[in-house]
Amino acid sequence: MASVEQTNGALDISQAINKQIAAKIKYLQELETAVEHHDDCKVYQLLDNQRYAAEIEHREQQPNEQGVMNLVDDLADQLSNFLSANLIQYLGKAYPFFYYEEYKTGHYRIYFGNWWDRRRFGELDVLNIRFAFDQEEYQKLARAFELSKQNKRYNSDRIEQISSENDRLQKLIDSRLEREQKRAALQEQLKDASSRSGLFESNKNREARQVIVEQISKLEDEEQESRTAADTIKENERVVLDLSKENTILSYEQKSIIDTFGTFEDFELANRNLYASYLNSLGGKKAGVSADEQ
Amino acid sequence: MSSNQMISTAADRVHSLSDSIAQGLEVGQRYVALLNQLTETKDPAELLDATEKLEGLSLANAFVKFPQHYQLADYYLLLMARMLELNGENSLEIEENEIHHQLLAKISPMEDQERFTFEIDPHNGGAFFAEQHHHEPLFYLNLKHQILKFSNRALVDFFIVRQTQKFSDLDLQAVVSPMIKFALLLEKQLNFVIDLGILETGNGARFRLQKPDLPLTIIDRLFVKTTDTDYMLLNLPQNNGAELRLDQNVRLQLAFDPDDYAQEWSFRVLDKEERVSFFDVLLHYPLVREWYLDNREFLAVRTDAMIFANNADQDYVGETLTMTTPDQPTQSAEQTAENLENQTEVEKED
Repeated sequence: MASVEQTNGALDISQAINKQIAAKIKYLQELETAVEHHDDCKVYQLLDNQRYAAEIEHREQQPNEQGVMNLVDDLADQLSNFLSANLIQYLGKAYPFFYYEEYKTGHYRIYFGNWWDRRRFGELDVLNIRFAFDQEEYQKLARAFELSKQNKRYNSDRIEQISSENDRLQKLIDSRLEREQKRAALQEQLKDASSRSGLFESNKNREARQVIVEQISKLEDEEQESRTAADTIKENERVVLDLSKENTILSYEQKSIIDTFGTFEDFELANRNLYASYLNSLGGKKAGVSADEQ
Repeated sequence: MSSNQMISTAADRVHSLSDSIAQGLEVGQRYVALLNQLTETKDPAELLDATEKLEGLSLANAFVKFPQHYQLADYYLLLMARMLELNGENSLEIEENEIHHQLLAKISPMEDQERFTFEIDPHNGGAFFAEQHHHEPLFYLNLKHQILKFSNRALVDFFIVRQTQKFSDLDLQAVVSPMIKFALLLEKQLNFVIDLGILETGNGARFRLQKPDLPLTIIDRLFVKTTDTDYMLLNLPQNNGAELRLDQNVRLQLAFDPDDYAQEWSFRVLDKEERVSFFDVLLHYPLVREWYLDNREFLAVRTDAMIFANNADQDYVGETLTMTTPDQPTQSAEQTAENLENQTEVEKED
């Protein structure tokens, strides 16, 4: 009995295996045909049937068959490279301000703009048709959009602060002579007051002396600072140039997004819908029909 | 015998005097003929011929004194005015200074402010066409070598630095226009070699910077200036410089040849119809003008030398440099020497 059971079991298992293998072969054959015809839509469907069904065919709850999908896991980079050609061509029109650099097979860096100085903005995830924006850079842009509602720029506060610091330092440099004269006068007063000091010095005189000493020390501090002020000003100017450059970059980015999408919100919406927009542009419906036929 | 001899000697002397006077008169006649030719002929070659002959004619004669006469510079100016007149260009008008009898040109619409005339270069021959307040030598003309060459430095100093506050860009273009036209006429009708410098409108024209090294922060400053304007500063595809997108497809590039190890930076203006010069860009766009003038120490374009065969020797080097001064306000002796070196290289390359 046991052996019969075993035989039956073995039969079930070999059937199950055959079924699995047939499914795998079918999957691979379909992928092969899709690649051969450069039917990118079909490739995307095969790579993620669940998402494809939901977003393109509007059929919910289509599970992915892990058993077949992971067959091509080790081909991810090549498939990404293969699918990038049409995707990047599409993005060139939909997002004319993004530029891509394939830094290794199937991996694409995004650059925002072709302007004099531009930012690296994350990566393009070709297999999932989405932008993987660098969050830090993205947040700067989001913040710049917010600030622009108040007619402010990303770095305007800091630039203003450094500029007024530079004004202060310049005044320190310019007032050198005045400071010297003041100091000489104070020292004269101190000499005067000191001559009246001694064992029976009045409280009033002692206080006056203290005030003069403090004033002299303050002047000395200023003098000290003024000696390095010129260098600090130069360094600050360099920082201001960098901050201004970042403002310019952000303003170019904002302008590009407004020119293409109207608002930042519409840009974000387009990003969320990119998968569907792109596959529909490839004729997703036609692919959907063939999916129903299966 | 002796009295006879005296008579004959006296007669000789009288005769030789009359000979001398005759020679003087002959010179005078030739002078009159050349002046007539210069003012009446309709043939550009004859105009040039008259000017050149007047240049070589000496009116100095011990026996025949001519009343005040014009100077060489005046003939150059007449040549220019007549060439323009013959070709229907009337914006340049000549008047005579009553005291010195010097001819001066006024150019509309700057007729109330400025006078222009030629100033003879005593070393190389030829003359500079200069305005009379600061004597900026706007271009150099040499009839013998048949060349005309604009000075980029003088053009910037006179027009861009001094006049843009007082005149519109259209007015200033109107003032420079007869000068360009004169140069083009000389080229077309008399086969002169001309160099329009930054007035050149062809897309192929490149203007190399005087200084070999350009800190990129200078370009950063232009980039920052474009914030909130309609213009954008782009990176060139080969990372070899920047391109400023201006109106109506006008593009200003500051770039170097990516294949050239030397990385020599130069300005270039590109427009579809090839009607816009670097000079026009400086005139028309305050953004570019302010940036250029603020950073002129680095952005000054150079005026390549025209080195003549006859002044290759050391004595003339200083004079050659009158046309090779960098397009920037101040220069040190060191820079000048460097400048000259560069220019010799340029000559070789060309």
